[in-house]
Amino acid sequence: MNSDKSLEVNHSDIEVNSLSFSVQENRILNQVTARFSTRQIHCILGQNGAGKSTLLKCLSKELNPSEGSVLWATRPLKTLSYAQLALQRAVLSQSAELSFSFTVEQLVRLGVEVRGHCEQTAEIIHAVLQVCDMQPLQTRDYLTLSGGEQKRAQLARVLAQIWPIESQAPQAFRGKWLLLDEWTAGLDIKHQQQLGRYFKEWAKQGLGIIMVLHDISFAAQLSDQCLILQSGKVYSQGLVLDCLTQTSLREALEINARVEIDPISQRPFIYPVLESF
Amino acid sequence: MNLNGQKGSRFLLLLSFLLVISMLLSLSVGGMSFSLSELFSGLSPQQSLILWEIRLPRTLMAAIVGAGLAISGVALQALFRNPLAEPGLIGVSSSAAFGAVFVIVLGGAIWQEVSVWQMSLAAFAAAALSTALLYSIATRNGHTDVALMLLTGVAFNAIAGALTQLLITFSDDTQLRSVLFWMMGSFANLSWASVTIVLSLVLVSLIGLWRLVKPMNAFVLGENVCLQMGYEPKWFKWQVMGFSALMVGAAVSVVGVIGFVGLVVPHIMRLWVGSDHRMVLPLSALAGAILLVVSDVFARQILYPAELPIGLLMALLGGPFFLMLLLNRRRWI
Repeated sequence: MNSDKSLEVNHSDIEVNSLSFSVQENRILNQVTARFSTRQIHCILGQNGAGKSTLLKCLSKELNPSEGSVLWATRPLKTLSYAQLALQRAVLSQSAELSFSFTVEQLVRLGVEVRGHCEQTAEIIHAVLQVCDMQPLQTRDYLTLSGGEQKRAQLARVLAQIWPIESQAPQAFRGKWLLLDEWTAGLDIKHQQQLGRYFKEWAKQGLGIIMVLHDISFAAQLSDQCLILQSGKVYSQGLVLDCLTQTSLREALEINARVEIDPISQRPFIYPVLESF
Repeated sequence: MNLNGQKGSRFLLLLSFLLVISMLLSLSVGGMSFSLSELFSGLSPQQSLILWEIRLPRTLMAAIVGAGLAISGVALQALFRNPLAEPGLIGVSSSAAFGAVFVIVLGGAIWQEVSVWQMSLAAFAAAALSTALLYSIATRNGHTDVALMLLTGVAFNAIAGALTQLLITFSDDTQLRSVLFWMMGSFANLSWASVTIVLSLVLVSLIGLWRLVKPMNAFVLGENVCLQMGYEPKWFKWQVMGFSALMVGAAVSVVGVIGFVGLVVPHIMRLWVGSDHRMVLPLSALAGAILLVVSDVFARQILYPAELPIGLLMALLGGPFFLMLLLNRRRWI
């Protein structure tokens, strides 16, 4: 059964094959090849305009690549309908403006309803609100929330879409994906850490997480794998320990940072510094 | 059942009840008043003629048009993701009116007599075209610039109004008479035939839009969110444009331009039950019907035997309401 399992893990990967995306003359992504696995937290890093969000949008089928392809668990992404995808992956976009008033609870309910008829609606809403620490605010109007609270409310809605019915099961999140574009923006450190711990737990339960982040120190603590983009091309992809080095940070991200290995977590400890040394 | 659902179904019952009451009121009030017991127990042949050939079609038409206009407001607001989108304000109604006049004047020259069908279809085509054009102007990457949307509406209103005037100067006496008669926007002298046509068009659109309530909820969160939640936004947008144009076209071709129903009604419904379209859509249909039935009773009683044009009454009511919305919700602009 063991060999069977490892096969399955491979088959559930998202594969990106020499994918390019252009808008008019501008090539935003250039021959990007990458692989994302379930049970892992992947972090996409890069400067502004490096193509991080565009890549994420190609993965969620919001944009169609000009060249190349995305294989979603061996099936071409092109052949999957939005309705099919909605049951496998949930996406949190960078910004979501809303001009209608919904309470937090109503907003989250919309996420559950994506799954069609669901007996456990109340339980799911309860669980995701708790995870996002939004229970005290569940009857509040979304439009009256602060930026960070709005982010958490949206995240709760997104999670509700793929939340497992039996959330305690060992492989509860198997086959599900969570795509997050700069989810930490606007969030206080407390909630970043709280959610980061949940992400690690869910990854162990089978969830694949792909996130765009700017905070490299946090990325180093949170993610298993790293993809660094530099003006639309892949600079490197691999384990965090191999990717986040002083050299790569200087070359691809053009930042000055001290990188050490944290003896306790055995992860890169990154300390950006203003003064050059 | 969650709390919201219970609250919503209570409102549904309440509004259905009010609609029945207002329709009974509309049937009994007029130049010749009937009491309720007369309505149910039996009428003289003359009373029965008035009831069946004048009051009932008029009452039904007011209800259908009110429901249609309110729902097209809901649909357009979802499409533009903004509560200020309204067929009258953004020029869809006046484009539909231009389509109808175009058929009266040019079609009249060819076919002599122009049917409600032909007027409805022409009004629908013009409404659909203007909605699509407006959408492509005011919306980029799923984000609607509200100021641009309203200003484009101003331009559309001006252009459609001018073209309508131009057509009128070219029309002969018989055409002029039917155009002027139609432009007064009243519920008087409606035939059963036109009631059936408008009823069927509004019903088709109502069912069409009812199928879309879930993607509508997703779409107001964002065009990309709609797609992330599993609904194809392109197909959704075409359907919303088509069905709302069909409703506006049908309504305008019979009673002319009546503004603000699509703004006032959905807004009040949202204040009551929140923004979930499963509630907002049916409640707006009922409330829109009640609003126009009651307003019509008012419009024909207040200056009796003269009649106040219903479009004028709605503008008197809706204009200040719109102003109040702008003042209250300046952050939306």
